Amino acid sequence: MTYSVVDVRNVDKVYGKKNENKYRALQDISFSIHEGEFIGIMGASGSGKTTLLNVISTLDKVTQGDIEIAGTNITAMNQDALAEFRAQKLGFIFQDFNLLESMTVYENIALPLFLQNITGKKGKERVENVADILDIKDILDKYPAIISGGQKQRTAAARALVHDPNIILADEPTGALDSNNAASLLETLKQLNEDHNVSIMMVTHDALSASYCQRILFLEDGDLYKEIQRTGTREEFFKEILDELAEAGKKKL
Amino acid sequence: MLVKLAWNGMKSKRKDYIVLLTGLVMAIAIFYMFQTLALNKGFTSDYAMINSMQLIFNVGSVLLAAVTFFYILYTNTFLLSLRQKEYGVFMLLGAKKRYIKNLMFVENMLIGIIALIIGVAVGIGLSALVARLIMGQMNVSLDGYQSFYTPSMLVTFGFFLFLFFVTSIWNHVRLSKIEVLDLVNADAKADKTVMKEKANIITIIAGIISLMIGYVSLIFMEQLREIGVFSSAIMTTLGTYLIFSSFIPMIVKCLKYNRKWNEKGIQSFTFSQLMFRVHSLKKLLATVAMLIALGAGAISGGLAFKNNGEITVDRTMVYDTTIHTPSAEEENIIDKIPFIEESEYRYKADGEFDYFLKEDLEDQRPLINTEMVRESTEVKRLEAALPDEKDSLRDVQDKARNGSFEMEHEWSLFLNTLQDTYTNQPLIVSQNVYEDIESEEQTVFVGKTDDFMAYTDQWAALDEIKQEQMDTETAEESYGVTSKYAMYKSYDTVATGTVFMGFFLGVAFLAMMASCLMFKVLSGANQDISRYEMLRKIGVKKKLLERSVYKELFLVFLFPAILGVTHVLIGMNMFSFIIYEPYYRIWVSIALFILIYALYYLLTVKMYKEMVLPDKDV
Repeated sequence: MTYSVVDVRNVDKVYGKKNENKYRALQDISFSIHEGEFIGIMGASGSGKTTLLNVISTLDKVTQGDIEIAGTNITAMNQDALAEFRAQKLGFIFQDFNLLESMTVYENIALPLFLQNITGKKGKERVENVADILDIKDILDKYPAIISGGQKQRTAAARALVHDPNIILADEPTGALDSNNAASLLETLKQLNEDHNVSIMMVTHDALSASYCQRILFLEDGDLYKEIQRTGTREEFFKEILDELAEAGKKKL
Repeated sequence: MLVKLAWNGMKSKRKDYIVLLTGLVMAIAIFYMFQTLALNKGFTSDYAMINSMQLIFNVGSVLLAAVTFFYILYTNTFLLSLRQKEYGVFMLLGAKKRYIKNLMFVENMLIGIIALIIGVAVGIGLSALVARLIMGQMNVSLDGYQSFYTPSMLVTFGFFLFLFFVTSIWNHVRLSKIEVLDLVNADAKADKTVMKEKANIITIIAGIISLMIGYVSLIFMEQLREIGVFSSAIMTTLGTYLIFSSFIPMIVKCLKYNRKWNEKGIQSFTFSQLMFRVHSLKKLLATVAMLIALGAGAISGGLAFKNNGEITVDRTMVYDTTIHTPSAEEENIIDKIPFIEESEYRYKADGEFDYFLKEDLEDQRPLINTEMVRESTEVKRLEAALPDEKDSLRDVQDKARNGSFEMEHEWSLFLNTLQDTYTNQPLIVSQNVYEDIESEEQTVFVGKTDDFMAYTDQWAALDEIKQEQMDTETAEESYGVTSKYAMYKSYDTVATGTVFMGFFLGVAFLAMMASCLMFKVLSGANQDISRYEMLRKIGVKKKLLERSVYKELFLVFLFPAILGVTHVLIGMNMFSFIIYEPYYRIWVSIALFILIYALYYLLTVKMYKEMVLPDKDV
């Protein structure tokens, strides 16, 4: 048994202040992500996926419960410590890339390294290394405005990866990509996971994207109601996911 | 309904609107303050040092109006950026374009009118305050200046209503051309910073050359005269614009290419932001630099004119005081003043001539200013020989009458400064002749201190005594006292007026320019929000981001400041042929500039920070 990178225990997230309408976005959620696992979180809009991602990515505080990432309990840390923690232990891929247009691809990727004072030759080596893996070595000197959407998302992935985080958190990473680029990115993520043993947690509502994962957690109304593990081929898994979604849909009828 | 929708929209972005309103109020207040002077022709001509003062104010008005115009355009863009998404949504929901346009028009005019009312009120308060401060500081009263001045108010109202109307129409037109989707997605625009190396180097060289020509013309203004005025104005301005479109971006680029700096923390982000900003703001930054120069120059010019008073009187009169046959009261005052040089000369007057005793002049050779005889000015001991008269009193008188009485030019100049009345011809006679003159003997006391300005109270007291004496001696209206102090005083009153005007002119320009810069920066802040949010997500500490904002905006503010101050430092040479020390207390204007500018810098940082780094949990 590999040890877990993320440990979520009995997490509750309630929005709204005292004496106001309260909204319970996460209800007593518990699960773990093992090292080297590629896990997917699925659910409809409003199911609490983004909230879950936000609390795991330390961007939002839980109302109750504990979250442990790489052995550190993040629920009791202060803002600065959390920022530092994010910078060192987490890698982010956002739906709309979030690259800085005024910086070159190289600088965009190297930013997390600069934050940790890894500069000069050492930094360059690492940037070139991830650029090589993600096949964007030729565009390092270019600005984001002139590269394609796929390249942008690869750049974002490289930025998420360059500082060797314990886990990569991806929020609908294919949301802004066409199907070809989406497939290529997912392949890359899978490859990263399999060949480089990178742990990935991906939030998505797209079954095809989810089929690249090893395990999928289904979320509805802030409740983790089901999880399925991939056992066979990706095609089979894809069907399994669709079935599950259809099942969930039927219940609501 | 229309108004209500507009009002609700404004309420939802209250903070941004407060920023906008504050900016407009400042602009209106400054414009009004300026107009209280510019339109008050009686006041400006009374206190003008140079007869072209009115012209300066007219040019200033036009310039300020132009700056204000651009300022309003910037704030308008800011306003539009605040609202465009909401308008887009209204239109998506099926609101007619005409309806949105009317909404926008109402909103623009509403803000404009609120700003106008508050602005003029603030303007009245501010100008009263500044006037009182200056009058208190300079210890004079400026009669004729009115902080509540109806013509200025009318002009301010007219001008701004016109401006608001124009911008409203402009928005109308812009909105007509724009599509719904453009509005909804207005945020998502990429900025490009492309630079052509070769063209850039040529521009840099051209910029430096024109700046050099401009500076040389400023320094040699006296020789170049009219050509200098034109070449300095045109070449300096041209140079500034060229430098800002080429040299400054290159400096930022160099900063960026320094790996060690660039890769430190989020410095690469700071520099990139700066690069982007310097590109998009280059024209504005150049304008800011020029107007900083004009503003600080106006303040320095005013101060230098004022200081000129002391130097002018020092050059025309070596001795600080000249007293004829001092009374006991006068003696009293004189005794308490530590003169570094004092002499007393005996003379007799007979209504036609003033006979000075040669021996006294011989024993106490006076100081004279060489400016009277030569081009250069320095104070020196009068060394010229005294007339060697052996004639009797009658002969001396005859000679003097037919013009053959010989005296060194320097001596006659000096004696002229001693005389009380200009009608008598001064003569120098030796002891034996002097004794033959039957008139009563009188004395004249001259004294010089090490610092004329340190004893102004005493000089004033002496002048008062003198004035009383003159009033009692002559029944009819007597002339005023013509002492060094009186001369200084009359110069000073006028100069204070000039300082006052220079100060208004300067502060108006500085404040307007700084707020222009502020709004230009703030109106782009919306596009930066996502960048800062992303950085925060990937784990950049808030403190680090704040520091980045401080640094980036500091550099944005710094570039025009450096160039502007350099312009002033070199440009003050221009006055060297009308003012003795054009650089007198130049630090006052520079300090004032830095103060105003620093305030705007901090305000900009604060507001920018609030926009891009909202204070929420995480």
